Amino acid sequence: MTDTPSPNSVQTERARSRIAIAWDSDLAYSFRRSPVALISFAVVLLLVLSAVFAPLVAPYDPFDPGTLNLMNGFTPPGEANAFTGETFLLGTDDQGRDVFSTILFGLRISLFVGFAAVALALILGVTLGLVAGYVGGMTETVIMRIADVQLTFPAILVAMLIFGIAKGITPPEYRDQMAIWVLILAIGLSDWVQFARVVRGATLVEKSKEYVQAARLIGRSPFAIMLRHILPNVLSPVLVIATISLALAIIAEATLSFLGVGAPPTEPSLGTLIRIGQGFLFSGEWWILFFPACTLLALALSVNLLGDWLRDALNPRLR
Amino acid sequence: MLSYILRRVFQSVLVLLVVGLVAFAMFRFVGDPIDTMLGQERTMQDIERLRETLGLNKPFFVQYWDFLVRAVQGDLGISYRQGRPVAEIIAERLPATLELAAVSGAFALIFGIVMGIFTAIRRDGFAANAIMTLSLVGVSLPTFLIGILLIYVFAVELSWLPSFGRGDVVRLGGWSTGFLTQSGLVALILPSITLGLYQMTLIMRLVRSEMLEVLRQDYIRFARARGLRDRAIHFRHALKNTLVPVITVTGLQLGSIIAFAIITETVFQWPGVGLLFINAIQFVDIPVMAAYLMLISVMFVGINLVVDLLYVAIDPRLRA
Amino acid sequence: MTRLLLATALGIVIAVPASSETFRWASTTDPQTMDPHAVSSAPVLGFLNNVYEGLVRRGPDMTIEPSLATAWEPIGDGEGWRFTLREGVTFHDGADFTAEDVLFSYERAGSEESDVASWFAPVSEVIVVDDYTVDIMTTSPQPLFPDSIANWMMMDSGWAAANGAERPSRDTENFATRNVNGTGPFVLSDRQPDLQTVLTPFDGWWGEVEHNVTEAIFTPIQNSATAVAALLSGEVDMIEPVPVQDAERVDSNDGTRVIRGIESRVIMLGFAHDHEMLRNGEPNPFSDVRVRRAVAHAVNVPAILQTIMRGSAEPASQLVAAGTSGYSDTYGDRSAYDPDVARALLEEAGYANGFSFDFSCTNDRYLNDESVCQAIVGMLAQVGMEATLDAMPVSNYWPELREGNFDMYLLGWSPGTFDAEHPIRFLVHTAGERLGTWNFGGYSNPRIDELLPVMQSEIDPEARQAVMDEAAGIIQEDMVYVPLYVQPLLWGVREGVEVTQRPDNFLILRWVSIE
Repeated sequence: MTDTPSPNSVQTERARSRIAIAWDSDLAYSFRRSPVALISFAVVLLLVLSAVFAPLVAPYDPFDPGTLNLMNGFTPPGEANAFTGETFLLGTDDQGRDVFSTILFGLRISLFVGFAAVALALILGVTLGLVAGYVGGMTETVIMRIADVQLTFPAILVAMLIFGIAKGITPPEYRDQMAIWVLILAIGLSDWVQFARVVRGATLVEKSKEYVQAARLIGRSPFAIMLRHILPNVLSPVLVIATISLALAIIAEATLSFLGVGAPPTEPSLGTLIRIGQGFLFSGEWWILFFPACTLLALALSVNLLGDWLRDALNPRLR
Repeated sequence: MLSYILRRVFQSVLVLLVVGLVAFAMFRFVGDPIDTMLGQERTMQDIERLRETLGLNKPFFVQYWDFLVRAVQGDLGISYRQGRPVAEIIAERLPATLELAAVSGAFALIFGIVMGIFTAIRRDGFAANAIMTLSLVGVSLPTFLIGILLIYVFAVELSWLPSFGRGDVVRLGGWSTGFLTQSGLVALILPSITLGLYQMTLIMRLVRSEMLEVLRQDYIRFARARGLRDRAIHFRHALKNTLVPVITVTGLQLGSIIAFAIITETVFQWPGVGLLFINAIQFVDIPVMAAYLMLISVMFVGINLVVDLLYVAIDPRLRA
Repeated sequence: MTRLLLATALGIVIAVPASSETFRWASTTDPQTMDPHAVSSAPVLGFLNNVYEGLVRRGPDMTIEPSLATAWEPIGDGEGWRFTLREGVTFHDGADFTAEDVLFSYERAGSEESDVASWFAPVSEVIVVDDYTVDIMTTSPQPLFPDSIANWMMMDSGWAAANGAERPSRDTENFATRNVNGTGPFVLSDRQPDLQTVLTPFDGWWGEVEHNVTEAIFTPIQNSATAVAALLSGEVDMIEPVPVQDAERVDSNDGTRVIRGIESRVIMLGFAHDHEMLRNGEPNPFSDVRVRRAVAHAVNVPAILQTIMRGSAEPASQLVAAGTSGYSDTYGDRSAYDPDVARALLEEAGYANGFSFDFSCTNDRYLNDESVCQAIVGMLAQVGMEATLDAMPVSNYWPELREGNFDMYLLGWSPGTFDAEHPIRFLVHTAGERLGTWNFGGYSNPRIDELLPVMQSEIDPEARQAVMDEAAGIIQEDMVYVPLYVQPLLWGVREGVEVTQRPDNFLILRWVSIE
């Protein structure tokens, strides 16, 4: 038995001190000083929490068709329904679903799709970008040409393609969950290119720096060099892109829904709700569109503002 | 240099072939054109016969090969829905999309640059911050919703602007333009704003950050120290240096404006290639879909190629 | 800045300069061809009814009336029909309309390249008796033949030959795809496929002009919200259809109103009768008539009509709407909404604990189809049938149905002949090459197959109705389909525009008048 701490505990130690460092960092200081960042963060946090705890917060379960009463349809917010006498905080939609509950559950799907799509794009883009930038040569050419092909296809088309193929190969009993995964795949796949381009660019710059040359000279594996040396140094732009991409992904999900390849109407996302709601814009049932649209706006705007702040805060020359 | 260009052109052609293959694979899943082409009272024989006429019963790779062979000869096939040559239909629809793209690009560029400069100069001012925040509202709602809201306010409630179409167009040879009539110009306003809003925000932010960057440079400090007036500094020196990246980005965005015109054109019934594509999907008009995708690909790959070659021309180190 | 923008916008307000006789209308689909024999779809036939004419035509109430034929009578004991042609009729290019043109139009419309050839399935021969008399011989008595050819349009044989358009062309273009030469009250003055099509009155028309239209401009607008906006802002004089939910707005708006009617299209639920298994691998409950009846009792049609359809539609009891010829008054009641009866039926059939299945549905074909399907999912869930909604665009839908990828599905059927025989021929008769071509579920009943030829050839109206009643009874008893409601027709028009709405949803321009 020795008293030497195991490598694991060293890492934990380091991680803990990193949190402390983070709190005292310029970034955190700038965050605490920026009212926009604070408010945006609070809004995002509130929305994420209410989405996560939707089953506890929402008064109804809008995804259980057996509990719906069609006669409750089109009840205005706060008013009693003419047939059933029931009252709903934000009214009901065409199916008699409580708009408030539907928004909470829809937010859950939208956030899940958004985070998962960005995670996919990030992992894919950063990996390919690192490899392309570090290895170079033929590998780089192939990866960057694939990126070109990818850019050629608008996200909408990618989604339709994946949607069609997935529909052909998934067994019927998984069909209703399929839409969500297709959305994630489609948005993730159409987003990775910008990560890859930025990371490749940054990698090219870092690669020629002395510390990387040194690491290479002492015989560290390319994998280790990419992961331990280059990656941390390209993370700031990646973080900014990821934040902006999250907002974009949530909006993209809504757009795809408009084109009929979004979440199914029986388990709607925010985008599907807006797509359904826009059909009632002229007819006076404004609440079916208004509340989901406001929620989406609040979410996307806050995330965008956070991204903005992050970009400025991470760019020391602008301070 | 020549070998580099040849290599890049070769790669671009390869990219186009792959795009074509992927696009073609996709059509198998969009649906079956047969049902939309035949009436309610069709017999099973009609279905089989039409399938044969269209070559749909051939193996997939044979269909793809046939398509490529004809496409190389400039024959994009016959539209299933209209029975006309696809090239003719696209040529008819392209002016509408290009004019819309040009106007919304100009809108994005002008407003983006002006507001970008403003927000950079008045970096911490209230108005600048308000513009920065408000511009984000525009990109925090899906395009189709912005379009519908604009129609609702400006066409239905206020009756100021038309809700659909291009207005009266004038034919100049093979080109139909909406620039020469009043109704044509008015019809451009709402769709251009809808389409250009996102790019405008993008350009505004780019100009702002480039300006801020440039304003910190030493030569600007020298200029200031020499007692040059702010206006001269901002416009004669700073702006000039921000324009190169802005123009590059705008050029690259032009292709995506055309691709994303799909949604704007659907909402405003704008008779361009995007609307044509959406109609083609609904009708499973495979030749039109294939031609549209190839067109967009050629455009993107072409722009990419030009940008790459320009970079090489500027920076000889990349000629590896 | 903003003020400046607003002022500019105000300065260039477009005054809609439509002179009072220009009629602008918009619909979702562009007629894909100007050839009356190439595509048998409602947008094409409806549009071309203003340009071409048939031997007979339909009045506002769908009754058959003389058009290019002034009279017709059966030949002998049902060997065929003799048509007496109108004299002094000319085509748009000035050529005279004669019996030769009828023969040519038969050969053209009955050819293999034609999409309307099925109308002439019973025809054995067309004989030109003289310039103004034509005999159409049939293989069996065809009492309804004149009814079935109201959309068979006459084309000039000389014009077609001169321009190489003797046969219709669907997959390529020929002269008749973009040019017309009919006898109808309007001529085509501009055709830009998918963008705009302009008609102007034909000076040499034989009939008495009732309209005051000097120019009619058609524009396709796919997005229904855009179409409503165009009507509300006065950019078009008429749109079709008005989305169900916007009807009230269009009606209450100053300067526009809604014309409501009942379309002949019946919306119904179909089942996989002959499948052994559901798509999830469980045994198929829908082959049991009790389960199908349970579905009929579980769906609350009045609630759907009141909320989703906003009181604009009528419930349906049969495969055709009440008032259609051959409709059976005897079986005019539809299964009442009663979830308890539905549960009891399910229990009796051995599904007391319910079951899960797929419900296939379109989302771009019928008015509010997706909402209706969604509501049905909820109603079925309340009696224990757990449906997974599989909603898709119609371009995917028909191939899926043809391949049998469904358990239960939504279908709308519009009888092309306006007779109850039509849906029986296509939806109920045992599936085959020519008959039962839309019978996806594989229902088969020898008695129905026996009755179909009888209803096609029985001349005596009472005897025929007895056959129709028997068939309607069998279909209702077996619950082959669950009829839900008759789709409404909603046209939005500008105040001051008078149009006549026909149940086949054709806009007949000669009935349009503008103030």
